[in-house]
Amino acid sequence: MEVGAMSKAQTYTYFPGCMIPFRLPHFELAARAVLKKLNIELEANPGHSCCPEPTTFTGVDFEAWITLAARNVAVSETTGLETVALCSGCFHTLAVANHMIQEDEKLKGRINERLKTVGLKVTGDLAVKNILHVLHEDVGLERIKKEITHPLTGLKIAPHYGCHVVRPLEATHMDDAEQPTWMDDLIEVTGAEVAEFEDKMSCCGAPIMPSDEDKAFTLTAQRIEKIRASGADAIVVVCPTCYTQMEMQQTKATAKFDPEYSIPVLYLGELLAISMGMKDMVISNARRYHRVKVGPLLERIGGVA
Amino acid sequence: MVVLRSTSDLAFRNWVLEQPEGETLLRCYQCGRCTSACPVAAIDNAFNPRLFLQKILLADESLAEEQLVWTCLTCEQCEVRCPEHVKIPHLLILAKVRGLAGGNTPQGALDRARAILASGRTIMVSESMLKTRDKMGLPDLGQPPIGQIASVLKEIGLAKKLEKVESVYGGGSNE
Amino acid sequence: MTKTAVVIGSGLAGIQVAQQLTDLGVTVHLIEKEPIIGGLATHLGRVFPTGDCALCLDACDELFDGHHRRCQYRSLLTSKKNLKLYTQTEIKLITEADGKFSISIKSYPRYVLLDRCVVCLECINVCDVEIPDEYAIRGGTRKAIYRPISQGVPLAPLIDMDHCTQCGKCVEVCGVDAIDLEEKAKTRTIKADALILATGVEEKMPLKLPGYAYSESEDIITQRELARLIDPAGDTDGQVITSSGNAAAKVTMILCAGSRDLEATEYCSQACCTYSLKHANMLRDKEIDVTICYMDLRVQKTSYHYLDLARKKGVKLLRGKPDRVVLRDGKPTTIVEDTQTQQRMEIESDLVVLASPLSPLASQSEVLADFLGEYGFASRVVKDGRVYACGTATGPEDIPTSIAEANAIALRVYADLEGGR
Repeated sequence: MEVGAMSKAQTYTYFPGCMIPFRLPHFELAARAVLKKLNIELEANPGHSCCPEPTTFTGVDFEAWITLAARNVAVSETTGLETVALCSGCFHTLAVANHMIQEDEKLKGRINERLKTVGLKVTGDLAVKNILHVLHEDVGLERIKKEITHPLTGLKIAPHYGCHVVRPLEATHMDDAEQPTWMDDLIEVTGAEVAEFEDKMSCCGAPIMPSDEDKAFTLTAQRIEKIRASGADAIVVVCPTCYTQMEMQQTKATAKFDPEYSIPVLYLGELLAISMGMKDMVISNARRYHRVKVGPLLERIGGVA
Repeated sequence: MVVLRSTSDLAFRNWVLEQPEGETLLRCYQCGRCTSACPVAAIDNAFNPRLFLQKILLADESLAEEQLVWTCLTCEQCEVRCPEHVKIPHLLILAKVRGLAGGNTPQGALDRARAILASGRTIMVSESMLKTRDKMGLPDLGQPPIGQIASVLKEIGLAKKLEKVESVYGGGSNE
Repeated sequence: MTKTAVVIGSGLAGIQVAQQLTDLGVTVHLIEKEPIIGGLATHLGRVFPTGDCALCLDACDELFDGHHRRCQYRSLLTSKKNLKLYTQTEIKLITEADGKFSISIKSYPRYVLLDRCVVCLECINVCDVEIPDEYAIRGGTRKAIYRPISQGVPLAPLIDMDHCTQCGKCVEVCGVDAIDLEEKAKTRTIKADALILATGVEEKMPLKLPGYAYSESEDIITQRELARLIDPAGDTDGQVITSSGNAAAKVTMILCAGSRDLEATEYCSQACCTYSLKHANMLRDKEIDVTICYMDLRVQKTSYHYLDLARKKGVKLLRGKPDRVVLRDGKPTTIVEDTQTQQRMEIESDLVVLASPLSPLASQSEVLADFLGEYGFASRVVKDGRVYACGTATGPEDIPTSIAEANAIALRVYADLEGGR
């Protein structure tokens, strides 16, 4: 390999949100490690606050929600770099705010009047991305493939996109609202097989936990049951809320159909990290952040640890 | 279908239509695909997105007291299948907003909103979590600028609105 | 000097406008891309509002006078002196100069000579090749030398050269040397004073329509496919059967499947509510249970009796747009909200029939692109320079409207050509 053939390191502004950095930091750790291998740096900005979270704050005061979201977008714009939010909720909030500002001049005007009071202005000109955009579209599968040193052959993985990273399509700029494929492609690049199951895009149920836990877990249970029927060895998520619902609260869901059943849930960054030879990093955080043991799963993967 | 409290000035409906993307309501021709697409409707007969939209179309204020609107997942399966691209979960969100003053908001939602205004985050960040981040080699993210939050929301007056609200129904856990 | 018009498309409107113009003394060149005339009508069996066979057309009678009707099979369409029919023909280029059109056409070979064939059909009997028939729904087959439908005009068979083995058996058995396996395509240029688009519509196949699983089951079909099942001349002899060959006992129909839908086809296809009711009534006469899931019932005043009859015959009318059809043990189940009772229903049936949009065929031809407007339909008078359109080429409509429009356009073309306006 010639010297100088490596591409320049690329930096994105990192929008951290609340849940990943302060509840599930193993997401951030894995993502940074994987991106670093692909020559990508994430730079946080102290001007950001809670996105604000889209599942309940929108229903408290929508105008306040979009104003705070636009403030975060304006802060990102001051960096001049594209923003990547690892959390699906944060991504959804910033992408929807960005889109609505682009489409609604009156709304944009109102918001900028408020932002003026803190010396900020939002234009809607800078892209807001999620981890799937960065990996699948910006980096590309070819480059990622080159970093896979420990292919996950023999593993069958169920991709769980979750709702907020994909919809609404006009704001998220993902590939398809009903049959997205980017995560499937990334799973295949690691050498694992994608599990096919019914209702690919059904919701994990988490958004209605504050109002009806029982209903929420009924939906989670239905989804996990369909994934079980596909013979998947593990579920992969990108969203910390889906992770909390389907991993950390898994027993409450499986109690509804088979208390003996369990299935490991991994963050996409963890899956990629393992296939890039960083299994140890994942194992060292597994006990603290994974209630369903991932050890047995990792042991099945061949190759040098 | 019973319309409980429509007002002849169509106040509720007009208010919705004035909100950003609220005008999509008028595209609804009540076909009902949303209700048959909805995963919550599949497990709860009383949850009927089409009926909720009908209530807004008919300016029925009672929707603002309907606790069921908070069992909308905002999964947008209805919106994806709607032939008129009506922003259905968004319209239900507007109904939720309309219900804040009357306390039709789960306690968990109120707690989160207050936390965001007070600390700029939905969750409390402990010292040990900050230490964990440090040990993992993850950067310090600083403190969110709560002064800015207060300033940009001043005109909306959310803090004042939240002071007086008491939830009429509890609900499940909050993280 | 005699004026000349080129009519593109020989469906019901094309035949009507061509006949009217020839009777008015205009020379007409009738261009058809299929091997036979009739267009969509050849698929439909009985049509509304009269319940007559779709091929029975006023313009097909030698006494063409607006009162007598006759099957296209017995029409004299091919024997008028000033009407020339070209089948299996494509428009390659249209140019305009000095107020006259130059239309270049290419006619693909039939391999059976029209001026010799006596329609004895021995050639079809001896052919060994069997392939799926485009008009069949439950696996019916045809030969390599074939007639698409038995009433097809021109009456002579044609050879599907993609599947012909060139064994020569048909050539041998033909008593009048009508088969020429070496026949070549012919190109021509026609000079015309007026151009009339009668290109019609086709039923859009709902291959990728979200939720309705059309591609996943042979028991989820379109209304046109149901027409083929009901047609006694079809491959099931009029038996409404499922893919496993059993008689269907219960059918669910879904109207507006992909119509009035910003994600699919935006416009209303006008005729499908009525033809769905027509089919529903025919199914009830066979004692099949029918449920129609609809958003609206848009029935023309002239066909209102179909809706009245449907109610009398016990067709179940459910107001609600289904979200999806799921397969359970191979049987289709329709998930729908009955908006009048607010009940979410799961309706199991043997067949699900989708009323799919009618989409303009003209938009498939690059050569006609300039004449088309919104959604690929053309205005009746496309531009004052003598380009016109009639029939469903102007927009989805029922048969009486198509015929009336063809009559109106014929008069308009005649008036324009003779300088009467």
